[in-house]
Amino acid sequence: MRFVDYYHRLKSVLGLSFSLAKANFKLRNEGSYLGVLWYLLEPLLMFLIIILVRANITTESIENYPIYLLTGLIMFNFFRGATVLSASIMRNNSEFVKSMNIPKESLVVSNVLQSIFSHIFEIMVLFIFLVFFGNSIKGLFLYPIIFVFFVFFVLGISFILSIIGVYINDISNVWNIITRLLWFATPIFYVLTTKTKIFFINLFNPMFYFITGARDFIISASFPENFVIFGILGFSFFSFVLGFLIFEKYKNKIAEEL
Amino acid sequence: MKIMEDKKPSIVVKNISKKFSIGFKRNDSFLAKILCFSFGDEIKKELWALKNVSFDVNAGENLGIIGRNGSGKSTLLRVIAGVFPANEGEVETNGKLIYLTGFGQGLKPKLTMRENIYLIGSIMGLSQKDIKKRFNEIIEFSGLKNFLDVKVYKFSSGMIARLNFSIGIHCLKHSNPDILLFDEVFHSGGDIYFKKKIIEKMEEFLKGGTTVILVSHDLETIKKYCDKVLWLERGEVIKYGEPNEIVEAYEISV
Repeated sequence: MRFVDYYHRLKSVLGLSFSLAKANFKLRNEGSYLGVLWYLLEPLLMFLIIILVRANITTESIENYPIYLLTGLIMFNFFRGATVLSASIMRNNSEFVKSMNIPKESLVVSNVLQSIFSHIFEIMVLFIFLVFFGNSIKGLFLYPIIFVFFVFFVLGISFILSIIGVYINDISNVWNIITRLLWFATPIFYVLTTKTKIFFINLFNPMFYFITGARDFIISASFPENFVIFGILGFSFFSFVLGFLIFEKYKNKIAEEL
Repeated sequence: MKIMEDKKPSIVVKNISKKFSIGFKRNDSFLAKILCFSFGDEIKKELWALKNVSFDVNAGENLGIIGRNGSGKSTLLRVIAGVFPANEGEVETNGKLIYLTGFGQGLKPKLTMRENIYLIGSIMGLSQKDIKKRFNEIIEFSGLKNFLDVKVYKFSSGMIARLNFSIGIHCLKHSNPDILLFDEVFHSGGDIYFKKKIIEKMEEFLKGGTTVILVSHDLETIKKYCDKVLWLERGEVIKYGEPNEIVEAYEISV
């Protein structure tokens, strides 16, 4: 009986999340001239800037650097896009939260779904790059395996941030700075050599594991090293469970704190 | 046996109390909080929005709630609807419950009327297919057929009120609730013609078998449709009983 209840609850949360995500996706592109094209342009422009800057400061070459860079960029983009929005999601939808007893999880889930939509566009860019540079696209089909765990990781973080955002408005500013720091700490545009200081720091950085795992899949179609797999499993599980528990504990108090 | 079932109260409210802490203003910064705290004048105020409220409503009955602004009427409805948890006491509701306020339930101004209908419909728990079925009725009722693909921010406030109510009431009809909570739906800003239409539509629920709790400042409506009236003042029940008697007492107190 309880199990059936959970199933129905999950179904209604997902259904609502999906229609909310669809509406918001439309909203975000409303009134902008390039609309959906921005999802392609944004990572591309960033990509171009880094390639140009790098060409001017170093001559050392990395194998498959364009693919290496783009994979890191779009994965981090997904993480940042989803979590930054989640920090203010309850405030932005306070009229819904206050006037209806809707499942509040669906606001957060819809937010992550929306980021998945835009991530699909970025994956399309990556696909074009793979074809253009003559890489095999076999690895791209393995990417969803990592992405599923990545989504659970992002969901957990989003749950936690959405709750903190109810009580502390400044969290979105703080989180903006934290993600920027994390962007530089993560090997996105540079390559880590083992046994350096920054490598040891990165062992505590969840983004390092997800991005490294995805690169192993996409660039060389090979399985990541064991410690990377453990990192991916551990961080996604830990983040999701912690986020879910915190959200469950505080979700009834959201409406009156807004 | 059937009669016994009908007599089962559909809403039981037992000694509900609701506390809001209004110590710090929302906008106070963290720094200000620390300063206040370290100087020892931390202001901690509590406001009991509801104090020991209890009543029950039988299935099919209509209950009116009256009182001044800030007497706790909307808070009471929100507690019953499950939006706010109560600090003390219990609420028991039997059957499907829907809470509707007259103030915009989150129309998105940058979307068109058509998209808004689908959005609000799905938030109120209808599937895309169900909304499609109701779509024409909603437009017909709102009288805004010519503005279907206009973005809502270009609407006048009266048009928004019409749209809001039309979507709300038709979604209600579809989901066929057992309990309805109406918070000021009559004064949503429509003109008298639309208000007449609203009341006609509402009569289906008020005179039908649905249990309704009605919060309104329109005392005539309360007298006409409600079987019982609850008078709230500063979160406490002043009087509870026959509509005419209580509305009269309320009017005298004003």
